[in-house]
Amino acid sequence: MLAPVLQVAQFALLIAGAVALLEGWLHYHFTRHEKSWFVPVGVLGTMALVLAGAAAAAGGSVEPSRILSLGTGTAIAEVLVALFFRHVVRGRHSLPIMLLAPAALGLGLLIAYPLVFEVYLAFHDLKLTTIMAWSRTGDLPFVGLKHFRKVFTSSPLSEVSFWQLLLRTVWWTFVNVFFHVAGGFVMALLLNSVTRFKGLYRMLLIVPWAMPQVVAVLAMRGEFHSQYGFINIMLVESGLGPVQWLGQHPFLTCTIINVWLGIPFMAVVILGGLQSISRHYYDAASIDGASAFQQFRMITLPLIKPVLAPAVTLGTVWTFNNINVIYLVTGQAGGTEDADILVSALYKAAFAFYRYSYSAAFALIVFLLLFTFSMVWLKWSKGSESLYD
Amino acid sequence: MTERRSAAILKAHRRRQALKTALVHGALILACAVCVYPLLRILAVSLRPGDRIISTDLSLIPQGATWVSYARVFAETNFLFWLWNSLVITVATSLVGVALASTAAYAFSRFKFPGQKLGLSFLLGTQMLPAGMLILPLFLMIMRLKLMNTYLGMVIAYSVSSLPFSIWILKGYFDTIPRSLEEAALVDGTSIFGAFYRIVLPLSTPALAIAFLFNFTQAWNEYLVARVILTDSFKYTWTLGLFDLQGQYLTQWGMFAAASLLVTIPVMAVFLYSSKWLLTGMTLGGVKG
Amino acid sequence: MASVTFASITKRFGNNEVLHDVSLQIADKEFLVLVGPSGCGKSTLLRMLAGLEETSEGEIRIGERLVNHLPPRDREIAMVFQDYALYPHMTVAENMGFGLRLKGFAGDEVDSRVLKAASILQIEPLLQRTPRQLSGGQRQRVAIGRAIVREPKVFLFDEPLSNLDAKLREEMRIEIAKLHQKLATTIIYVTHDQVEAMTLATRIAVVNAGRIQQVGTPTEVFGRPENMFVAGFIGSPTMNFIEGELRREDGGLRFRTEGVDIPVLGGTGGEAEGPTVLGVRPEAIAVERGGAGGDGVVAAEVEVVELLGYRKNVHLKVAGVKALASVSAAFGGEPGEKAGLRFDPAGVHLFEKATGRRIR
Repeated sequence: MLAPVLQVAQFALLIAGAVALLEGWLHYHFTRHEKSWFVPVGVLGTMALVLAGAAAAAGGSVEPSRILSLGTGTAIAEVLVALFFRHVVRGRHSLPIMLLAPAALGLGLLIAYPLVFEVYLAFHDLKLTTIMAWSRTGDLPFVGLKHFRKVFTSSPLSEVSFWQLLLRTVWWTFVNVFFHVAGGFVMALLLNSVTRFKGLYRMLLIVPWAMPQVVAVLAMRGEFHSQYGFINIMLVESGLGPVQWLGQHPFLTCTIINVWLGIPFMAVVILGGLQSISRHYYDAASIDGASAFQQFRMITLPLIKPVLAPAVTLGTVWTFNNINVIYLVTGQAGGTEDADILVSALYKAAFAFYRYSYSAAFALIVFLLLFTFSMVWLKWSKGSESLYD
Repeated sequence: MTERRSAAILKAHRRRQALKTALVHGALILACAVCVYPLLRILAVSLRPGDRIISTDLSLIPQGATWVSYARVFAETNFLFWLWNSLVITVATSLVGVALASTAAYAFSRFKFPGQKLGLSFLLGTQMLPAGMLILPLFLMIMRLKLMNTYLGMVIAYSVSSLPFSIWILKGYFDTIPRSLEEAALVDGTSIFGAFYRIVLPLSTPALAIAFLFNFTQAWNEYLVARVILTDSFKYTWTLGLFDLQGQYLTQWGMFAAASLLVTIPVMAVFLYSSKWLLTGMTLGGVKG
Repeated sequence: MASVTFASITKRFGNNEVLHDVSLQIADKEFLVLVGPSGCGKSTLLRMLAGLEETSEGEIRIGERLVNHLPPRDREIAMVFQDYALYPHMTVAENMGFGLRLKGFAGDEVDSRVLKAASILQIEPLLQRTPRQLSGGQRQRVAIGRAIVREPKVFLFDEPLSNLDAKLREEMRIEIAKLHQKLATTIIYVTHDQVEAMTLATRIAVVNAGRIQQVGTPTEVFGRPENMFVAGFIGSPTMNFIEGELRREDGGLRFRTEGVDIPVLGGTGGEAEGPTVLGVRPEAIAVERGGAGGDGVVAAEVEVVELLGYRKNVHLKVAGVKALASVSAAFGGEPGEKAGLRFDPAGVHLFEKATGRRIR
């Protein structure tokens, strides 16, 4: 029991040390760039850091030639960085730049760089047969647009085509968001009309959202089991006979599960919106003679739009991007492809079929689709405005 | 008699109102049942004795209820390892995430600089990336760095995923702290950093806690990245372990259910407690995986 | 303790110039009030002195030392903010001692200085509370206490009383006046309330539209306003203005407009004849019932009479414009009556119509 604790302590120290070093390095550059000893100390310090890091990584011994190349490389890089700090980063913008640097570095290394890498992959050929060579040499054959063409001509998995996936994704997104919003509205209006037990109801209603998604989806999947799931037990009891949910209707099953998962979030968002609408509008409207339905249409809907619009935008993107539900329901070995949407096929193509470059090209196409859609949608709904406020 | 007539009208009116209320409560109770039922079923399955794990029994407390499944989870699986791994990775991820987010959020909240709007849009834009798009390059990077099956690899893969949300929620909170507090601190003798560390950060504890919690739940519940990076059962996070338990044989349902319940209860408690704040941050930052 | 010098200060936010070439000398131990309408640049001037805003052009000195380039902590100033800016996560004592602890003072020294300041302001019982548990007036005292313990060379007050209700504001005004006597330090105080300016200041600087309009003692600013802005801004109720013509006749000056033809005191001559604005304070108008009669009497009509208790405000129509006279409560005039007005020659001010400048 002691070993893992030590291992973790070591790990924690490593993380803390790395963050501290990075912050210290940045702090030095940002605060001392006006001093005359800035460049020499920076060069020596950074060289020492890099060489120590390299020595530690290599297990204590580094070849002299490596030391030389690493040292000169670091020194040149550091001089450039130092000159950059001295002559570009100064004045009133130096402080925000410094504050942003750690996050920007993280986002750059772990989001921007992978995106660039993804583009590189898409134009080269990385698959199960070339990955060993690649991890040794780092070289990949250039294949141009081959993978982009293949996305449209051959199945990302084994049968289903890109166009089927696209259609299914659109349908999946539409159906889910529609039921999320409709169900959310019903829940929220019901909740808003009671005074007793409101807190209790609210708490119970968000259980699907609050549960870890893995547990929630797997538990629901169990309820769709052909023999022992709650739904089929009820169907058999009522004489309708069992339905092979997972085998024959996987898409429907996934949709039902995802609707169940997504309603609570919308309900809570809409409830928040409803509660922010002043009672007085309804008082005035009912004195003016508006029916309940008219009040909903003329007051509730327009006044809830600022809350609803961003939630729908986000809900759409999340639903479009939902791998979890489909993968957890159908993803096991020998799983069906009849429920897959673009993003889940993307994941499976890479990690079940090991078609790395192919899935990179696929990912870029999906990204372009989603990006275009988002831009058009944001422009059209002005949803972005309320996201900022 | 008019008096009797009006009394009758009022009585009918009251009855209609009561009926309406009853209907609303009925609908809500039904909805709550639908929401909670799967969780209760997990409880039921987890309590079933070994020979009745697979059954069409629908009762919530099964006959011969026993804790045996819970004992088996600890005895027969690596559940404790999984929990421990999840905990280490999650805590490290959250700490790194909040540390990076707090200074960035402060820059966005307090300074005007070129590219500020662009930066915020970029943060929002990262939410538009197709899920799974980044997993492949991250996986390849981590493989080449020889960090497969390590905590460090997981923390690297997770650390920035919640950063946009954390930055948004912290920026929102910093915006509500009056600038005059920092100005007073400057006059009192701090540097700008001092004002941030001594005044703004301590005042932002609630928001920092929320950002931490959000990072925590995201990493704690993550499945897809972990699946790719962790292949050694001893290095699994609990989500991987649970999935494998559920996937193998129906006979392990009892253990699956018991383990599920063990990880769900604390997470749900935290979530229910903080959902109100999380929600404001979420509509603000627009993130949920 | 130190003097403060602003030399040719200009401040721009982007392309928007909010202060134009402002120069001002503040002597040691002076209580200078910067007064003006909101948005006139007075707070910006104070914040530049504190080091919270960069100076676009010009020099700021505290004593002999140039401070433009210094961060706030090196300027030896203390500031009281409009919203008090008490640190919510510290007790009153911690709030007050924060600056001293940052400077590295020992705990005992901090405690004794905090106690001393607390006793001056009578807030000792509050020392262990947090700002949340204090009333507005108490917070105000703590904010002032935090400034006192630092023993700065210059105190800066940025509209410190504007968040208090009328009664408390009056109380605190007196407190601050007493404090200045006790501490004998330079104080620079920004407010938009001319009553605060009049009651507190040893000297007032009236600011408008990014320029200093007049600097002088309260008596000077009230008694000899340099221009129409100062005349209208200082004094309550505000000064009445009547537009007309200034003419030289028979060796004397006369002010004329429709229905008005009165002699006014002139200097030794040289005043331009021509379009002029006559300003007269409500307290310098005597109202007689009945019409005009005799030289120097102005015809007017009573519109509304308001009883304020010991005085009455009489709203009049004079030469087509509205005017206000403040008279004794014994005045018996009724709305609609004709009245004759006499202006106290000492309370009459003449301004050039084109520039608004005072005619000497």
